[in-house]
Amino acid sequence: MNQLNYVGKSLRRKDGPDKITGRAVYSQDVKLPGTLVGRLLRSPHAHARILRIDTSKAMALPGVKAVITIDDTKGIKHGFVETPRYPPDQEVLARGRVRHVGEEIAAVAAIDQITAQRAIDLIEVEYEILPAVFDPLEAMKPGAPEVQPTHPKVRAEVPYSNIGGRTATGWGDVEKGFAESDYVREDRFESHLRTHGYLEPQVTLAHWENDKLNVWTSSMGTFVKRAKLAKVLDLPYSAVRIHKTYVGGTFGGKIDLYSHEYCAARLSMLTGRPVRIVATREEIFSAYRHGQPLIMEIKTGVKKDGTIVAQQVRAINNAGAFRGSGVVVIFLAWGFTMIPYRIPNLAYEGLSVHTNNPVRAPQRGHGCPQIRFAIESQLDTIAEELGIDPVTIRLRNARKPREQLPNGDNVHEGGLIDCIKVAGEKADVVRRYGKGRKAGGTVRRGIGMGVSGYFGGSLIYPNGSGVIVKMADDGSATVLTGAIDVGQGSETVIAQIVAEELFLPIEDVKIVSSDTDTTPQDIGAWISGMTYVTGNAARQAAGNARDKMLQLAAQRFNCGVDDLYVADKVVYNRLDPAQSMSYRDIIALSIATRRGDTVIGEGFWRTMRDVPTHPSLATTKGRWSENYAFSCQTAEVEVDTETGEARVLKALTVHDCGFPVNPALVKNQVDGQVSMALGHAFLEEIMMKDGYTLNPTWLDYRMPTIHEMAESDDADVITEEYVVGKPYRTKEVGEGLVSGVLAAIANAIYDATGVRLHSTPFTPEKILKGLRQLERERRERA
Amino acid sequence: MILYDFDLERPNTLEEASALLRDKGADARVLAGGTDLLPNMRVEVVRPATVVSLGAITPRDPVRETDGTVRIDALTRLATLEGSDLIRAACPMLAEAAHRVAGNQIRQMGTLGGNLCQETRCLYYNQKHDYQFKAPCYKRGGEVCYPYPNNDRDTCWSVYMSDTAPALIALGAEVEIVGPGGTRRQPVEQLFTGSGLTPHALGAGEILSAVLVPPAEPRFGWGYHKSSRRGGLEFGMAVMAVGLTLDGDGATCRGARMVIGAVREKPIRLTATEQAMTGAKLDEAKIAELAAAAAKEINPLPHHGFTKSYIRDNIKIHMRRVLSEATARARGTGTAENGGHHD
Ligand SMILES: Cc1cc2nc3c(=O)[nH]c(=O)nc-3n(C[C@H](O)[C@H](O)[C@H](O)COP(=O)(O)OP(=O)(O)OC[C@H]3O[C@@H](n4cnc5c(N)ncnc54)[C@H](O)[C@@H]3O)c2cc1C
Ligand code: SF4
Repeated sequence: MNQLNYVGKSLRRKDGPDKITGRAVYSQDVKLPGTLVGRLLRSPHAHARILRIDTSKAMALPGVKAVITIDDTKGIKHGFVETPRYPPDQEVLARGRVRHVGEEIAAVAAIDQITAQRAIDLIEVEYEILPAVFDPLEAMKPGAPEVQPTHPKVRAEVPYSNIGGRTATGWGDVEKGFAESDYVREDRFESHLRTHGYLEPQVTLAHWENDKLNVWTSSMGTFVKRAKLAKVLDLPYSAVRIHKTYVGGTFGGKIDLYSHEYCAARLSMLTGRPVRIVATREEIFSAYRHGQPLIMEIKTGVKKDGTIVAQQVRAINNAGAFRGSGVVVIFLAWGFTMIPYRIPNLAYEGLSVHTNNPVRAPQRGHGCPQIRFAIESQLDTIAEELGIDPVTIRLRNARKPREQLPNGDNVHEGGLIDCIKVAGEKADVVRRYGKGRKAGGTVRRGIGMGVSGYFGGSLIYPNGSGVIVKMADDGSATVLTGAIDVGQGSETVIAQIVAEELFLPIEDVKIVSSDTDTTPQDIGAWISGMTYVTGNAARQAAGNARDKMLQLAAQRFNCGVDDLYVADKVVYNRLDPAQSMSYRDIIALSIATRRGDTVIGEGFWRTMRDVPTHPSLATTKGRWSENYAFSCQTAEVEVDTETGEARVLKALTVHDCGFPVNPALVKNQVDGQVSMALGHAFLEEIMMKDGYTLNPTWLDYRMPTIHEMAESDDADVITEEYVVGKPYRTKEVGEGLVSGVLAAIANAIYDATGVRLHSTPFTPEKILKGLRQLERERRERA
Repeated sequence: MILYDFDLERPNTLEEASALLRDKGADARVLAGGTDLLPNMRVEVVRPATVVSLGAITPRDPVRETDGTVRIDALTRLATLEGSDLIRAACPMLAEAAHRVAGNQIRQMGTLGGNLCQETRCLYYNQKHDYQFKAPCYKRGGEVCYPYPNNDRDTCWSVYMSDTAPALIALGAEVEIVGPGGTRRQPVEQLFTGSGLTPHALGAGEILSAVLVPPAEPRFGWGYHKSSRRGGLEFGMAVMAVGLTLDGDGATCRGARMVIGAVREKPIRLTATEQAMTGAKLDEAKIAELAAAAAKEINPLPHHGFTKSYIRDNIKIHMRRVLSEATARARGTGTAENGGHHD
């Protein structure tokens, strides 16, 4: 078992041909006869009491089949997190009050789009407008409009209003640490509001038939959706089936339960007909969940040689009107603070502040790009003050392999030091750094570096993945997996693993996936763990089926299992070349002699066997992950110092993703994240005023196109350590890499211009302003 | 999706189209490529009861008339303009401007006439208003103006963002208009009212039939730049177009047209700067001075997230580059300074 045939190879994606030829069936393509069109009535106010809702005119409109409001629900709440401290906090439709523009108030089902729209227009709602607050710092003040009362436990700890959640943690003694430091500096950074930009809209088709709810919905994990949908509908999980569809991008935005999913289901239950709701792009931009804007205050104390002694971090999240993942990002920002560098003394506080903005969701990196932008920017400033280069200061603080983290986790073979060294060498950072600023001319170049660390596959519902491998009598295999392919390539990777373990041609492996009725439970495509968790379950399931077959063969040949080898679905006895048996014959034998056993393999996986649940979101106590992936990224930028216009010429990602099961897919992930970082750095911004979204269109929310993509190189540093034979020690490569490169861009702009940007996006306007400020200071000094 | 019902007409000639427009009155609109009209109908900033499609009318290829004027049918696709050998040879600035519009898919559909007759834009205006900004603004026939709450003059500061209009004005082009009273010609500049509420000076039943670009004078040079954040598939933050001629000495400016688009309710000609330029020797220092004067003369509206001061800063630099390109072209020495275009 030493030679790998499939795992570790850049095999073509299983979903590629379907997508390229337009045959792939997305939720919007599923056609059922008699389908009704659903639409939602949304709040036009950022904060208002609902005094009256009258749906009678809408109901009376010909072609309207059902209208629902909060009165038609069971009043069961749901939440992104559901823990004793943070219980579910949101209803599926507004009850008596709306807290953000676009909040869902009612839904209709009608025979066509125009009728549905007319019905929406006919619903009368009487509002009493309430004062609203949009800025988190304003919302924290005493006497601010109350979006949500401050969490009862937090009320005892801090005096602020509208605090939905707080994370407070640390170790050592920061005050002592600062006192012992040679240099201490404080900075404040801000990361702005961005959104996922998934191309496939939010869409749900629901059909209630024979006491069973069939659902096709664009999601990142069908089992999470099933759990939440069944709960708010008060149905047993077994009465809800989420079908597999192709998914056109998610990036964190399709995890939570959305009101439209409930409404489609409920409207179908009321009408007995299939109901489809498709969100318009304007709705997605102005009423659905975006990522998390953070304000970050960082105080760091270092020794003269750059060794970090103490760090104090405060992250304030503009969380929107409900909890969403707002209380998670303030926990995660702690994690992404502490992973890469040794911080002997840390004091961390994260505050999630409710405002009259739409609710927030995870977005690729979920706090990591934001906090790494802040910390890595400050680190470069510190390095410069101390006369140290960016590579050296990072190497000085980087965690070594097998280091224990303060929370009890171990970084295992974590390759951060190698990442920094390789990135530094490849991009020639030390030699080039500092040259740009001194160069003359109006077009200047700069180089910058950023580091990040990311976890993989942590514990959160449903916590584990199962996989079943069914052998067909001809020796081919069908894999049942709950893993959902959202474009990342999970089906390809799982097929590679099964092919490898069963010595099967990859064409003989067929995947049935992400259908909650026919496939085993799966963690979903949103905790950076599918290749690790589901991949290992697939490995076990395939191994289980293989072992059953090999045992039969060994019995037949009267030899040990270790004496066998397989080629082209035929098992041979190494000791007696005359003895061989095909999979087909072995399966027939199994059925004949093992009371009909058709050879089914099962496998399960869960991270951290000994850990009961995820760490505390409030205190961070508890273990988090056994899979830390590290990276160091560089960016080379060019800045026009007359206009402030900047662009990235080249990005380099050196990462330690564990064993790359499919290197081409790893490269896709790297490029996708670099492109996302470019959007964060330069282009994408949700512009809002008084709770309204000003740019709810692709045209005005500028995402990078292929033309804006920078050259992107990458290298992995540590694969050799992942010994062949246990090639499934995979880590993380799908989220963490937005971060280092974002920080690297900020640092490169500084390197080119001397302008230190404390907030994203890095607009020409900010760069020009910084350059003018420098010019003024220069003149004043002269 | 357009969520209301409307009638569709498909006349065979512009004259028939004009008659239909007049019959149907204010409730009718012509549809050329549809890339502006249909999105606007979708968000319901316009709700024509009748759409008069010009889809049955085939434009003729651009031609050079005997006096050297280039005649371009209004229905010519932007993609045709970009790729036309005649346009690239006779009025390359127009080819460049057409190329800067949106992305290829839109240029394959969008027409030159539609580009000139496109609606003005404003973040508050160009979106669906079913729950955001529910109360209609002045331009939608209502009583508020969102970006300018103190706007009590019942005016509208939306921005006209055509990329081709500044180029055509800088080239001294004219439009030909078919209407109830027959055919008339007027400078492109006069197509615009300067009002954000009703940006175009077209009478009832009037349709653009052609654009006429006069032949270039000797020692003519042009420069064009569209500033935008993304560099493509995007409307401009500011569009700069300059056409100038030099005296025989190859240095003194004989005359110039300097136009800035995408910053006001119509493309703006910088007449004061044009005058200052005429008779001046266009060396590096003078060009920088003129660009600074241009940035001062223009009074941009803040729009699409860009502040007035940054738009000015940007114009000051890019106008300098545009001017030096135009000067170099007029001298026949190619581009002096790379305009910093991101292709
Ligand atoms: C994503 C996107 C990006 C865009 N980017 C740009 C850009 O960067 N720069 C830019 O300039 N434009 C841009 N546009 C706007 C538009 O696509 C172009 O202006 C295009 O040239 C419009 O031409 P059309 O033929 O499609 O116009 P249509 O939509 O058919 O018509 C536009 C308007 O002009 C009227 N009209 C059309 N033809 C005539 C005529 N012959 N006589 C009188 N009235 C007429 C119509 O009634 C309508 O009111 C963009 C549009 C989209 C959707
Ligand atoms: S500027 Fe014009 S289009 Fe924009 S909100 Fe005001 S009136 Fe409406």
